[in-house]
Amino acid sequence: MKERIEIIRSKGLLIIIAAIALLSCSQKIEKPLPVFGEREVINGDTLFHTIAPFEFINQDSAIVNNATFKGKIYIADFFFTSCRTICPIMKTQMLRVYDSLKNDPEVLILSHTIDPEYDTVALLKDFAQRLGVSSNKWHFVTGVQDSIYKIAQTSYFATAMEDNSEPDGFIHSGAFLLIDKEQRIRGKYDGTVEAEVNLLIQDVRKLEREYAGKKSAQ
Amino acid sequence: MKLALLLGITLCFLLVACGSKDAANNSQSSTKFTQYYIQGERLYLQHCSNCHQKNGKGLGLVYPPLDSSDYMDQNLPAVICLIKNGSQGEITVNGKIYNQKMPGVPNLTPLEIAEISTYIYNTWSHKAGLIDVKQTEQILVACTKEMKE
Ligand code: HEC
Repeated sequence: MKERIEIIRSKGLLIIIAAIALLSCSQKIEKPLPVFGEREVINGDTLFHTIAPFEFINQDSAIVNNATFKGKIYIADFFFTSCRTICPIMKTQMLRVYDSLKNDPEVLILSHTIDPEYDTVALLKDFAQRLGVSSNKWHFVTGVQDSIYKIAQTSYFATAMEDNSEPDGFIHSGAFLLIDKEQRIRGKYDGTVEAEVNLLIQDVRKLEREYAGKKSAQ
Repeated sequence: MKLALLLGITLCFLLVACGSKDAANNSQSSTKFTQYYIQGERLYLQHCSNCHQKNGKGLGLVYPPLDSSDYMDQNLPAVICLIKNGSQGEITVNGKIYNQKMPGVPNLTPLEIAEISTYIYNTWSHKAGLIDVKQTEQILVACTKEMKE
C-alpha cells in the first residue's frame, strides 16, 4: 500500500516536471509575425507577396532601390513635408522608431514623399537635417509621382493620391509598414497612434530574433 | 529633517490659503479664465498639437517649441496674427532658426484665437494670465493691415 502511494507520487512528480518542461519550451518558440498579401504555391513552394522593383532618389541625391535594402529589415511610410494633418504626428512617431534603432545596422527607414513636385531633393535634405537624422539610416525619397503612387498602392497596400477636396490636396494613409529581408510585408501599423508604434518597435526585435534563430539553426 | 517637513507643510498651507483668497477676490475673472482655458485646450488639440505636440515641444528643427519660447514671450501680437494668418520664412526661437511654412487657421473667430492664446500662454512654462477677446480683436485689426501691404 505504502509503495503504491510512492509510485503514484513519483508519477505525479514526473508529470509535473514534464508539464513545466513543455511550458518553458513553448514559451521559447515565438509565434512568427504574419506575412501580408496574396500567396501562390508553385511545386510545393509558397511564393509570398513582395515589394516590386523600384528606384528613387534620396536626400543626398543618391539612388535608392531594392539593392539598398538587401539583407536589411526596413520600415516604409508615405508623407509630404508641407502636410499639416497626420504627417507631423507620423514624423514624431517615426523619430521614436529611429531613436530605438539608430545603432542597429540591420534596420533602415524609407519615407516616400507623395508630393515630389514640391518636395525636391534639397527640401528633403533640409527636412532630414532639421529632424537631426542620418541619411544612411533614414532615406527620404522622391521620384516620378506615378511610380510612387503605384508602389504605395500595389506593393505596400497604402493609399496615396491627389485629391483636391482634401485640406492638403492629397489623401494618404498614415501606415508604417514593416518589411523583412525578403522584401515581404510583415506588419502594418497606424503611424499616428503611439501604442501601435510601440508594437512596431517590439515587432522589429521579434523579426530580428526570427533571423537570429534561423542562423543558429543552420 | 522634521523641521524642514514642518516648514514645507506650513508653506503649502500658506500658499493654498493665499491662492483661495486670490480666487475669491476675482472669482468672476477666474471663471472667465477657466472657460477660455478649457476651450483653448480643445482648440489647441484640434488645430495645433499635430505639429507642436500636446506637450508643446515641437519636432526637431521642423516645428518650433511652444512650451518655452522666447519668441512667444516677446511677440504676443505676432503670435495672435500667425494663428490666424500662418507664418512663412525664417523665425528664431530660443536661438535656433526655423524655416517651414505654418498654415494659419483663417476661419477662427477672435474669441477662439483669444482662447487658444490664453491656453498656450498659461501652459507649460507660461503664466501670462487671461488674453481676452477685446485685446485680441485690436491686435487682429492691426495685423490684417500689415499683411495686406
Ligand atoms: C502644420 C504644422 C503646424 C500647425 C498645425 C501649427 N503650427 Fe505653429 N508653427 C509651425 C511652424 C513650421 C512654425 C515656424 C514658422 C516659420 O518658420 O515661419 C510655427 C510657429 C509657431 C509659433 C511661433 C514660434 C514659437 O515656437 O514660439 C507659435 C507661437 C505657433 N506656431 C503657434 C501655433 C498655434 C497656436 C497653432 C494652432 C492654432 C499652430 N501653431 C499650428 C507649424 C505649425
